[in-house]
Amino acid sequence: MKWRRFKRLWMRVRNKIAVITVVVFVLLLLPPKGHGQFGIDLAVIQTGLSVISNLLQSVVAKPLAAIQQIEQQAATFEQQVVWPISAINQAKATINQLQGVLVQTRQILQAPIASATLPTPKKLEQALLSANPGAISQVSANYTAVYGAVPAPTDAPQPVRDLMDMTDAEAQAAMKKAVELDALANVELQTAEQINQQLQGAAPGSAAILEAQTSAWVVRANAYTQSALAELMRVRSISLANQGAQLKFSANHTSNLRSTSGQVLQPAAR
Amino acid sequence: MLKKLKSSLGNGKRRLLVIVAFIALVPAAKAGIADILSIFQTINSTLRQAGGVLNTVQNLKLTVANLETRVIWPVSLINQARNFVAANEAQARSLLSGIQNLSVSSATLVNPSQLESIVRSAQASNVGQLQGAFTRVYSSVSSPTAAPPLERNMMDMDDAAAQGSLKTALASDQISLQMLNVATGLEQQTASAAPGSAPMLSTQARVAELENQAYLTRMLAAELRQEAVQLAHENALRKKSADSTRTLRMNLQQILAQPSGGAQ
Repeated sequence: MKWRRFKRLWMRVRNKIAVITVVVFVLLLLPPKGHGQFGIDLAVIQTGLSVISNLLQSVVAKPLAAIQQIEQQAATFEQQVVWPISAINQAKATINQLQGVLVQTRQILQAPIASATLPTPKKLEQALLSANPGAISQVSANYTAVYGAVPAPTDAPQPVRDLMDMTDAEAQAAMKKAVELDALANVELQTAEQINQQLQGAAPGSAAILEAQTSAWVVRANAYTQSALAELMRVRSISLANQGAQLKFSANHTSNLRSTSGQVLQPAAR
Repeated sequence: MLKKLKSSLGNGKRRLLVIVAFIALVPAAKAGIADILSIFQTINSTLRQAGGVLNTVQNLKLTVANLETRVIWPVSLINQARNFVAANEAQARSLLSGIQNLSVSSATLVNPSQLESIVRSAQASNVGQLQGAFTRVYSSVSSPTAAPPLERNMMDMDDAAAQGSLKTALASDQISLQMLNVATGLEQQTASAAPGSAPMLSTQARVAELENQAYLTRMLAAELRQEAVQLAHENALRKKSADSTRTLRMNLQQILAQPSGGAQ
């Protein structure tokens, strides 16, 4: 009876005992040291991390600190030597101050300079001082009203008429050019004022752009000055040519007079 | 036999067996330490490479910093330039003002002296007085009874051009003085400028130069007007001469025609 009960009990627990035995056996096979989990050795990891930490300190952190120091010194140098805010503000203050002087300067040329007193010269002068390119078309008529037209072919020899026409043409061209130049000068002054206003709010970095723009305008202004000088040279050349022509006319007249006198005196000599 | 075991084991037991088998197999992962060491070596190598790059960057930064502080913006040279500007400005100012203040007025009589003082006053506000002073020296345009219209117009136009140029020159002198003040102001500021603020002053100087150029253009326009009037005047005299010749010819023709008529 006892044996049977024991057998029945054994049948129930034998599988469990087998499983437990297997587990114990497996656990016995596990590594004796508990340093790692899942088979990873902590000491190795600690050593590796320690090496990495040392490396980070010596190879990375040190140069980075040096770079930071250099950057700091460079920033200080730039702030105190190259672009000190005080010097920039002083420059801005000077620019504001000079802007006032330049505005006053522009007003000086507003003083009226018209001086003609008679109606016809007044009209011509008005057109000449208008600084309005639209008034250029009035110059020729007003000029002729003051200085007269080229004489008729019956009233003067052709060479003299040519000379007069050329002289009138150059005088009128110079007057028209003067109107153009005044208008161009006004545009230049307006531009200078606009650039100056921009400059008042500019930074050292953007000032260079405005400087380049101003330089371009200066080049342009020089070109206009050059064209004005060319016109002045033409006026003087025509004046010189007139003097030369006058001498030539005189020489021709003298030659003609001598020839005519010779003809007049010849019959008397016979 | 497996079937027998499978049937003899319950679900829970089977799971337990799987876990036990897994744990038993884990020691095989011990072989991964070599891999970890390899990873560490890779990290080590990468860090050393990064360190090399950082060293290069550091050297570059140092080189740039040296270039900036020793070659481009050396403080000693900046101060030297500032001192030069200040000294040059002080030296030139006395020299220039000495030359500038020399009087060139030369008239001796009352009326010319008055005109000359106005013309050389460098005050555009004196423009209004110029016409009177000019007329006192050069007289006004002849009356209609004293000269023909052409000559009167020419006289008036000559006077207008001359006075216009004198007035422009007067205004121009004042502008020149203002521009000299602008130049002095810029120069004084330059003496305490930094390399970074100098471009702003430089731009301001360029703007002033542009304005100066515009005034120069205005001066040339006035000069052109004057030269043109001079040329027109000479030409008008030529036309007048032609007109006089024509009148003379007509008069002579009339005179020559009259005696023959009288003889008849």
